[in-house]
Amino acid sequence: MKKITSAVPEFRAVAILAVAATVWWMASIEPVEAAGEPIVVIVNSANPVESLSLGELKKLFLGDRSRWDTGKAVAPVMIGPGATERTAFLKIVCGMNDADLGKYFLQAAFTGKSATPPKEVGSAAAVKSFVAGSPGAIGFVKASDLPAGDTTVKAVKVDTAASDPGYKIKM
Amino acid sequence: MKTASLASLLRGPQAVGLALCMTFALSVHAQQATNAATIQSDTNQQLLQRINELEVKVKQLENKPAAPAPPPAPAPEPQAVETPHINEVAPRLHLNVFGDVGAQVYNHNPDTFYFGSLDLFMTGRISDRVTTLAEVLFIAHNDNTVTPDVERLLLQYHSSDYFTAAIGRYHTGVGYYNSAFNYGAFLETSIDRPFIYAFDDLGGVLPMQDVGVTVTGKIPSGKMGLNYLMEVGNGQSWIPGSETSQNNQDANNSKSINGGLFMRPEAISGLEMGFSVRHDNLSVPGPAVGELISTVHVVYINSDYEILNEGVLVRHVESTGPVFSTSGFYSQLSRRFRSYRPYFRYQYFNAPSNDPVYVYAGPNPYAPADVTKFVGRLNGPSAGIRYDFSEHSALKFQYDRVSLRGLAAQNALSTQLAFTF
Repeated sequence: MKKITSAVPEFRAVAILAVAATVWWMASIEPVEAAGEPIVVIVNSANPVESLSLGELKKLFLGDRSRWDTGKAVAPVMIGPGATERTAFLKIVCGMNDADLGKYFLQAAFTGKSATPPKEVGSAAAVKSFVAGSPGAIGFVKASDLPAGDTTVKAVKVDTAASDPGYKIKM
Repeated sequence: MKTASLASLLRGPQAVGLALCMTFALSVHAQQATNAATIQSDTNQQLLQRINELEVKVKQLENKPAAPAPPPAPAPEPQAVETPHINEVAPRLHLNVFGDVGAQVYNHNPDTFYFGSLDLFMTGRISDRVTTLAEVLFIAHNDNTVTPDVERLLLQYHSSDYFTAAIGRYHTGVGYYNSAFNYGAFLETSIDRPFIYAFDDLGGVLPMQDVGVTVTGKIPSGKMGLNYLMEVGNGQSWIPGSETSQNNQDANNSKSINGGLFMRPEAISGLEMGFSVRHDNLSVPGPAVGELISTVHVVYINSDYEILNEGVLVRHVESTGPVFSTSGFYSQLSRRFRSYRPYFRYQYFNAPSNDPVYVYAGPNPYAPADVTKFVGRLNGPSAGIRYDFSEHSALKFQYDRVSLRGLAAQNALSTQLAFTF
């Protein structure tokens, strides 16, 4: 009986700590807001792919999928660090920031994976230029950087079209 | 001390001499001023004449018809600015260096600074589908020697995402931790590996390296994200005086075989669950021993959270019949707050004291130096914090409390500076 009595305060303390930890964890969850300009995913015009899921897109950019169904090697490209569309894309699609991305590919190489990091270029025009010139390339640009009628590259759906209200990849 | 005036200092001849000097100096200055005025006047005349000549030439040029403007230079093409995440030292070779140093305060051994490891990690691309991986390691042992070690040397062939084969010296796929983390302490959250995955160089007992062939890849499974691995190697030898890892000569014809299956469901990004089973026939001084190592793991990792859970069961079966079972597990939790990542780990390992293999293992790193046998129970918590003060370096502090069967609990405080470049 004495043991049970003495254990009650410990149980209460553990319960209070557990509740506090849960509240703290829930408060720390940051909602992912997707209310800005859409970010359009683009591939080479010759690539037959029309749509991708968010999970497939993540695999393509993180080297977890290395070839298209056509057999072409996947060549991801993105604008360099600091661009707002890059920051938003990494957060929404990969759940990472720039430092996480660097560490991810460092660890991938260290564990023997053949994954290579996305090629980085200096501007949205360079992203489109690279995708237009590489059959296996995939990249992303802001919607305003891909005017209607631009047929140098092909925009693909990611679960839904970029113009739909439910589109998830937004700045 | 008084200050004398100029007049009181000059007397008779001295005053006359000073007056003469001043007169001479003034006359010279006046002559120089006259000459300078003459030279300035000449210069002004020449400049005016030059200006007049230039004005005439300008008027002549203005009256001529304008020449067509040259075409504007074409805008430069946007150049690709590639930021390599891995240092390229030659067209086909990438090099990364990992290192760690630190200090430890024990209650069972003398306090010490230590040099952990220097790890030269190299990868190279020979062709579109063939790559190489090499890792040369320098580690400091408990006897203070620093020895070089070819940790890995692999030639890999990537046929597709479903089939990658490799041959050479590799890190085994026994469990999750050994596949995900190696000697590069910078990549690990904690200062050290869980004890069940300690390297044999540092007192570990599970086979962390092997020499042979491996096959890995995905299994077409849609959103389940199934993957497989198969490994065939020389296995381990526990004959005293020889290396545990059989790098050049197997002690018997029996090969180790390891198979694993794990899934990364697309619905829960960051979650991985899997198991592995490994069999080997071990060479020991006594009767031959069959070894079966089974592991299971559930891990969840994203940029903020790291939750690692693994269990292992080792069965040693002597040819004469007796069976000896060793079990172990660890759970590690951590969460990132900006550059800080506090973590907590609890680990357990229990090998029977009469195990026919582990009696030949090296000293237990958690035990006092005079305890030479590895076997027994080991369990306890570890808590620490990692601070990433730059993108390529981290400072860690860790407290360990380890209970060992038949011994007093051991406490240790450690710090580590881990980096890569």
